[in-house]
Amino acid sequence: MATLTIGCFPGLIGNMSYDFVVKLAEAAVNKGHKVNIWLSGNAAGSVKAHQKHLKDYSTGEKHLKALIEKGVEICTCEACTVARGIQKPEGIEKVQWNAMHWYLAKIHTSDRVLQIGGE
Amino acid sequence: MKLAVFVSDFKLASDTLDRLKADKLGIIFVANGVYHATTKENGKSSSLLNKTPNLYALFEDIQTRGMNDEDVDKRVKVVNYSDVVDLIFNEYDKSAWI
Repeated sequence: MATLTIGCFPGLIGNMSYDFVVKLAEAAVNKGHKVNIWLSGNAAGSVKAHQKHLKDYSTGEKHLKALIEKGVEICTCEACTVARGIQKPEGIEKVQWNAMHWYLAKIHTSDRVLQIGGE
Repeated sequence: MKLAVFVSDFKLASDTLDRLKADKLGIIFVANGVYHATTKENGKSSSLLNKTPNLYALFEDIQTRGMNDEDVDKRVKVVNYSDVVDLIFNEYDKSAWI
């Protein structure tokens, strides 16, 4: 088993890169790997709880919860999140809130790192 | 260094790719990047297909765009998410997303 850390810096839910992160993480954890996801920028908006899951519309909550259940560590950039009007009590349970040092620490201890986006 | 580059857009990324030095370069076409593997412009394939013999395209993103394996250039190997995980861990040391 190896560790993959994914930095997800792109757009909000519905963004193709965001979907890629979720699906890659699922594939990696299903193969027995450890996965960490750092949500930054607009991706931080996906940690709000009680999202409405519309048919044929990509949303984050259901997928993030499923990944957490499989042992994926997910952390949102706290500054990015509160800047978007989301407070910690409104967030999805078990999603971690922290600063960039969380991501840097995970990078340091991971076998592979993939940073996606950054606009 | 063995480097896997994820190409996620149909814009030509030659400038960036040319600056990346690797002993082994792999290009993984994802999202709109899969059009590099499927589409010819003025009868010519994407120049990215000449960058390396190690070319891959994500099947789910091909299928999402209404295409299938038969639309993919013969030089490109069609992969799924599980294959991508194996590429990241087993075939390449570093990964980049452009």
